[in-house]
Amino acid sequence: MKASYNWLKKFVDFDLPPDDIARLLTSIGVETSVLSLGLGFSGVVSAKVLDVQKHPNADKLHLCSVTDGTNDYSVVCGAPNVAAGQTVALSKIGAVLPGNIEIKKSKIRGVESEGMLCSESELGLKEKSEGIFVLPENAPLGVPLEKILGENDSILEIEITTNRGDVLSHLGIAREIGAKLKKNPILPVIKTPKLSSFSIVKLESDMCLRYIGCVISGVKVAPSPKWICESLEKCGVRPINNIVDITNYVMLELGQPMHAFDISKLASKKVIVRAAKDGETITALDGRNYELDAQTLVIADEEKPIAIAGVMGGEYSGIDAQTQTVFLESAIFSPSSIRRTSKKLNLASDSSYRFERGLGWDIAELASWRAANLILEVAGGKIETREDIAKIDYEKTEITLRIDRVEKLLGYAIEEDELASALRFLGIDLQPRGGVILCVIPSWRNDIKEEVDLIEEIARIYGYDNIPKPPEEKTQIRTKNNSFFPHIVESFRTKLSGLGFSEVLNYSFCEIKELESLGLKYHYKIANPISKENEVLRPSLLASLYKNLALNLDRGAESAALFEYGKTYSQSGEKKMFAAIACGNVWREWWSWTEKKICPKYDFYFGGGIVKNILPSEDFIISENLAPEKYFHYGKTASVIYRGKTVGGFGVLKPSICECLKNGDEVFYFEIDVETLQDSYCGKDSYYKRYSKFPSLKRDISLIADKKLPFSKIEKTFKNVMKTGNVLKEYSLFSVYEDAAKLGEDKISYSFRLTYRDNEKTLTDEEANKDMNNLLSKLDKELSVTLRQS
Amino acid sequence: MVNIEQIASEALAKIDGADISALEVLRLEYLGKSGVLTQILKSLSQYSTEEKKVFGSMANKAKSDIEKAIENKKENLKKAALDEKMLKEKLDPSPAFYFPFSKGSLHPILQTIDGICCVFKSLGFSVAEGPEIETDWYNFEALNIPKDHPARDAQDTFYLEGMNNLLRTHTSPGQIHVMEKQVPPVKVIVPGRVYRNEASDASHSSTFHQIEGLAVGENITFADLKNVLAQFVHKFFGNDLDIRFRPSYFQFTEPSAEVDIQCFFCKGKGCRVCKNSGWIETLGCGMVHPNVLKAVNYDAEKYSGYAFGIGVERVAMLKYGIDDIRLFYENDLRFLKQF
Repeated sequence: MKASYNWLKKFVDFDLPPDDIARLLTSIGVETSVLSLGLGFSGVVSAKVLDVQKHPNADKLHLCSVTDGTNDYSVVCGAPNVAAGQTVALSKIGAVLPGNIEIKKSKIRGVESEGMLCSESELGLKEKSEGIFVLPENAPLGVPLEKILGENDSILEIEITTNRGDVLSHLGIAREIGAKLKKNPILPVIKTPKLSSFSIVKLESDMCLRYIGCVISGVKVAPSPKWICESLEKCGVRPINNIVDITNYVMLELGQPMHAFDISKLASKKVIVRAAKDGETITALDGRNYELDAQTLVIADEEKPIAIAGVMGGEYSGIDAQTQTVFLESAIFSPSSIRRTSKKLNLASDSSYRFERGLGWDIAELASWRAANLILEVAGGKIETREDIAKIDYEKTEITLRIDRVEKLLGYAIEEDELASALRFLGIDLQPRGGVILCVIPSWRNDIKEEVDLIEEIARIYGYDNIPKPPEEKTQIRTKNNSFFPHIVESFRTKLSGLGFSEVLNYSFCEIKELESLGLKYHYKIANPISKENEVLRPSLLASLYKNLALNLDRGAESAALFEYGKTYSQSGEKKMFAAIACGNVWREWWSWTEKKICPKYDFYFGGGIVKNILPSEDFIISENLAPEKYFHYGKTASVIYRGKTVGGFGVLKPSICECLKNGDEVFYFEIDVETLQDSYCGKDSYYKRYSKFPSLKRDISLIADKKLPFSKIEKTFKNVMKTGNVLKEYSLFSVYEDAAKLGEDKISYSFRLTYRDNEKTLTDEEANKDMNNLLSKLDKELSVTLRQS
Repeated sequence: MVNIEQIASEALAKIDGADISALEVLRLEYLGKSGVLTQILKSLSQYSTEEKKVFGSMANKAKSDIEKAIENKKENLKKAALDEKMLKEKLDPSPAFYFPFSKGSLHPILQTIDGICCVFKSLGFSVAEGPEIETDWYNFEALNIPKDHPARDAQDTFYLEGMNNLLRTHTSPGQIHVMEKQVPPVKVIVPGRVYRNEASDASHSSTFHQIEGLAVGENITFADLKNVLAQFVHKFFGNDLDIRFRPSYFQFTEPSAEVDIQCFFCKGKGCRVCKNSGWIETLGCGMVHPNVLKAVNYDAEKYSGYAFGIGVERVAMLKYGIDDIRLFYENDLRFLKQF
């Protein structure tokens, strides 16, 4: 809320300037900033407009001759309302306006201007204003403007935490200031005449806890006096008429929302507080129609609702110029009921905002009297009757505070005197009983419910920054080295980022349409999504990764290689997954490469090679994908098996999915189930294997095989020979070759480089050849794979 | 009688001026089978013992001097030739260092989470996790946020269709899960993803990350909380920054505080980043509310504790100078590769 610095001074005595008050409030938990610093100008004086001429070079500008009583000035002015005879605010050369704008001699459209006639907004007096600021006619000339305006005020913007509804008033803010400065707040003086009470209020619902009604007759509705209008305007409230303005004034002053009805407009002379009937409607003061239900509390006459209680008044019972008898309401409604209504009707007001946060039992009464007093003072009239009905027996909260508990929780002993004074200035009544203090909580502090709340009040007023830190712990406890990333993810991230992949992070949401195009099903639908793109929880990382890929290619990237670690949401619940996607050339062109042939793409084999490379141990086996996911190209996919269980897969996405990609390249995708692996795989277990110190021998061989023969079978023979012969140490496939004319229609050629080495001695050519021949004969016998001649 | 000294000095002079091929000629001329010095040494036999001694040593000295000179000269010539070769091969370093392979990168949010976790691990915290799909109990009730409390307004919630579950709005339910499974003392951080049903703009995202911290035990105090957070700020943001604790309100802590750190761009002088206040709001914290301890059947008289929550995106935006939170989730490589 907006608060006036000067208004605050009426409630508590302080000398601090606005900036210091804002800092003080912020330091005790009431976030405050200074919106406007009163009169932020200097060198502005009152002056009389002697003559107004048209500017020779501009239609909309005027050439004014003004006088400050001593000298005459020629000033160019653009305001349409400028007229001869007005007393205005003249910024002379050298004057400074808010924002540190200095007025200099200048030429405007070729005519010299010796100053500037100011508007209220230019002077920082109002946020918006039209035309120049016209001063009272009888204002003396040549006098500094601040002397004519008199009052110098600042506007503070106060932000409260949701528990502190009691600070939403000048009295509330003043009480906070007082608690820190050890000063008691000053309450407005009210007269409480004895009145006869005759019953007009019927309280029929538990949603209202206390209802105070007051009937004032013979009022004269008129615009409010200046001091009320100004007070309201400073706080951003528009003045309407004296009665309505007083209810708002009291709300800003004491925090109690109030409402005034024109009693003559009611169908009966009864005011009924009841639950609305289902389907009942009301036209509120905002001119809109609202349909109500039985959970809404209304104020009604015997026929229909006249107000949505605590939220907004009804149109037809409002105060207007003809109103003579006013019914003034000051009530306490159930916060949860008001909150529900405000949410349901999507209608919030200054009033509902306060009711939702809870109000002080005593404040409702004080406000009722205060408003009635002000109405009599400003609009005249007479209090006819006053009624105060309560649904509950209100009792103040009592809490026992153990002094030693304060130190135990804060880690610092605050002197008993000190902590008692912090509580006392907050309005808490203290009864010390040796080691404990019985605290009686004032009605407006409904947020203080138990001992720990009192300890917070003490710490807050004492100052968090005044509680010293303990000396640093000498020995810091080390816990087991667990990490946010499971081991395997840590290893994937390190390796893939080294291999040129970039890590992405996507929302957990996606669109059903997207999933359908990938053949994926969702399991969790958001009941209240922000938009269609966010309607379900992602069952796979693929959808968003594919979108990221497409976005980057679309924005001109020649290739993209991305990975993501995150959760997916499927029938088995939340699951940690890791996935990578890549498309395009692995290498970019390079001037140093004269031949362009070294330009692999992220295809099935290159991608699969990366997967093989990043899998952390030999326990991970790549094998045929027996049940390929719907998004994979059936012919270009494989599974990753860990200890007999399928944990992941990779492959090329179906061509139908990637049709829209411009470059026409295949898209490689890999995913692996981290949820399963994080429990079974915990770091690479490496055992040292002795390696031979003796020289090696290399052999290159080319084999011809049947195309249909799975390569894995050839590899298996290699591996067997490695095991049994113990001299073949490595093999690598360096060329794959097909040529129907040379090799035959169904044949394929594989070229291998073999590395032979003995662990114990230098290997001879004969020994290597013998082992190689053994390999060749096995390949021939078992698989009909033969050595290629030529 | 030949003048050995003169022969030697002549030879050394010639060697000094020779190139590599001339050196070989000189070596043969003086030291070869029919070389000048070889001949002299051969002819020594004709002299008397006395003369032999004198000539012999002179000739041997001359021989070794010439040998050494030739070797030295050879070394020098080789070195000069190599220097010349390298000079000729000198490359322009400006266009050469281009690696035609893409540079990989790690996401700034995950780097930030990792960095924050590392600091807290060094302060004795272990890392725990909690589910994202939560119940009202864990996300609100157990944290002392009853139904219809205005505090729920600040945390607009996503609900799942056809079930009583919601997406957690903060990592605080992680506190409850940890305490349910563990007896005090507890000292954990819970990093993770959280969700709020609010429209995206430069500073709001429906998905973001938090790191929750919790320590519960006997005699854990507000002063300990100040201590651990001050250490975090100094280790993560820098040793020279001031920090301040400002009273605030969270349902699940009492007392509650907002921690501001001195703006690290302007060091407190006031700038655009800190909106001229000199301070940057970094995290929320407080002493665990007794009702929360009661909700997990901890003895609220015996145990006390503190909790804090850090907004990862906010920290990352400050650390990397990023002005739009949506950039984190757009995943444009031109953004990602900067980290």
